Amino acid sequence: MKRLKHLLLSEYLICFVCVGYFAVMALVLGSPWVSRYNLENLLAALLPLLVLAIGQMFVMITAGIDLSVTAVIAFASVVGASLMSQEIGLLAGSSYGFPVALAAMLLVGTSIGALNGFAVAFARMPPFVVTLSTLTFFAGLATWYSAWFVDRYSPNDEQSSSIGDLPDAFTAIWDDWTLPIVATVAIASYLLLSKSVLGHWLYAVGTNPKASRVSGLPVRSTILSAYLICGLCAAIASILYTSQLATGYAELAATKSLDVIGATVIGGTSLFGGKGKVQWVLFGVVFLVLIDSSLSMLSLPSNVVEICKGAVILVAAVLDATRNRIRLTQAL
Amino acid sequence: MNITRRDFTFGTLVAAACTATGCQRSGSGRDTIAVLFDGLYSPFWVAGHDAIVDSLKARGFDVAEAMSAQDDEKQLSQVKTMLAKGVKGIIMVHTDSKAVHQAIREANRMGVPMVHFNRAPAESDYPSVAIQADNRRITNEAVQSMVDVAKERGGKYKAAVLIGKLGDQNAIARRDGFLDVVDQHKEMIEVVSRIPTDWNEDVAFKGLTNALSAHPDINFIFTSSDFLFPQIMQAMKSADKWYPIGDKRHVIFGGFDGDRTAYELIETKFLDADGVQELQLEAKLCVQAVVDLISGVLDLSQFDKFPHVIPDPGFAIHQGNVNDVRERMWGYQLWKQDQTESLAAKS
Repeated sequence: MKRLKHLLLSEYLICFVCVGYFAVMALVLGSPWVSRYNLENLLAALLPLLVLAIGQMFVMITAGIDLSVTAVIAFASVVGASLMSQEIGLLAGSSYGFPVALAAMLLVGTSIGALNGFAVAFARMPPFVVTLSTLTFFAGLATWYSAWFVDRYSPNDEQSSSIGDLPDAFTAIWDDWTLPIVATVAIASYLLLSKSVLGHWLYAVGTNPKASRVSGLPVRSTILSAYLICGLCAAIASILYTSQLATGYAELAATKSLDVIGATVIGGTSLFGGKGKVQWVLFGVVFLVLIDSSLSMLSLPSNVVEICKGAVILVAAVLDATRNRIRLTQAL
Repeated sequence: MNITRRDFTFGTLVAAACTATGCQRSGSGRDTIAVLFDGLYSPFWVAGHDAIVDSLKARGFDVAEAMSAQDDEKQLSQVKTMLAKGVKGIIMVHTDSKAVHQAIREANRMGVPMVHFNRAPAESDYPSVAIQADNRRITNEAVQSMVDVAKERGGKYKAAVLIGKLGDQNAIARRDGFLDVVDQHKEMIEVVSRIPTDWNEDVAFKGLTNALSAHPDINFIFTSSDFLFPQIMQAMKSADKWYPIGDKRHVIFGGFDGDRTAYELIETKFLDADGVQELQLEAKLCVQAVVDLISGVLDLSQFDKFPHVIPDPGFAIHQGNVNDVRERMWGYQLWKQDQTESLAAKS
């Protein structure tokens, strides 16, 4: 019983589960599962999701939630593509097209993050309502903008309202730069949380905002910074996803919300705030990607895959509450 | 928590043993074809999916399936998973015609042929085969039949068109097919409402309800997909516009797909015309194409542009030709099968 309690409280619990799950799936699925090609695919699937989940972790540490990340991805994607598309882009043919588009995508992400943060921190609106509203607004705006742009600049394109023909330099990001970019985001986030003053403030504000305010911490700007970082991470993920598909697309990553929040929670980041680490998020993302990929390889129906993922996230949330209760009991 | 070194070593060894054992396992010996749809959100896709899977199994293939929920990034990941699984061919329904290019590229890289069911990708350098209905022409024919009815009845018409997802080239072709015809009859038909549905029943219902409130005189409705019929019927009933052909209050009504409800509505004289995709033919062509590509009978190097499209000619069914062409309508086949089964159950 004592060992079980220890295991439940271990911050490496999900890491052990991942190793065990991978091994069991190797038995079930055989050589395709452990092939180099599949391992590369698993890595490719987890990297952009890790960036998204790290951003979500910052918000969750402050006891908030950001549901708008998929809209940020979509809007940044179509804005960036509309600038740099070699066929119909506003900066087509210009040597500035590619860097300006990247800057615009990052600007879109941080702007929406700032909007969310301002509404939560300064207007005191509930994070759920604010980010659900921005999700709806910017997802709709992305669809409208994409359709309008293609209609206006490529009226003969009867095939789709997405924006293709992106520069080779941009599409090469996915092949050549994904791992360094994600590693940089992960290391920077780790250092920010563990070594910087802002990191300490984030944990303090998430644990007890009233006590933080009384202690003189800048609670509002700390919350604002969490949403800003989340928006920035979503924009970086948008760059990676858009580069992967070589298309600016208003539906890009539209189904990722559950994965992002799920991976963050599964890793051990608390929904109640004050708790979260980059390495935990990594474990959560790895676990979710393993489940997704293995169930697809087993050819289970998509609804079964979603049921399994939902169940795992539910178990993780229950585990989070149980761990909190055990820790509270131990503290008393 | 403190995990002891012994616990860690033991766990690692067990995991490594499992993984090594997994490496030794081999497959069942039968070739596997991946069937990747972006969702089964209408009777057309359900029937198409079933026809393809049944046909592949009948030819002795194993089938590996996945749904992407209209997420192309997820579908790319599923394509890679299937390639890792060692499938011999891929039949897929993508969502966006440009975003699918990377999936085709990946399949090409692994030497696995890809066939697209019902939706063709945008033109590219990546070789693949698509089976696709001529959506624009079939819509032209269906809407022309509606216009002929309008001419016969006389008077002026206010039209509403329910448009599908704008990332879907079929939706765009059907919208344009509708506009091609009504724009030639502007003196008689005015399009007062273009309703985006996003291929979603709720959105379609709300959109049409709002349109009928704003324009109570709408008397000409075309939907880009038959799967929206239940919601359209509900909205029309609420607006007191659901009357059969022959009644003065009848709204000239048309659709696209050729599903079972479409046949029932034609049979009961509520639907004037419907564009029909020959689903069974498309499924058959799809399976044949993937088999031919695997065996080398179909050689993509002989084509100069991609995707190589194998067309489904399709047709329009209307009150005037229903008895002549209904055997080719997949919705009628489903309807007839149900009738036969229910008669057998009764006897």
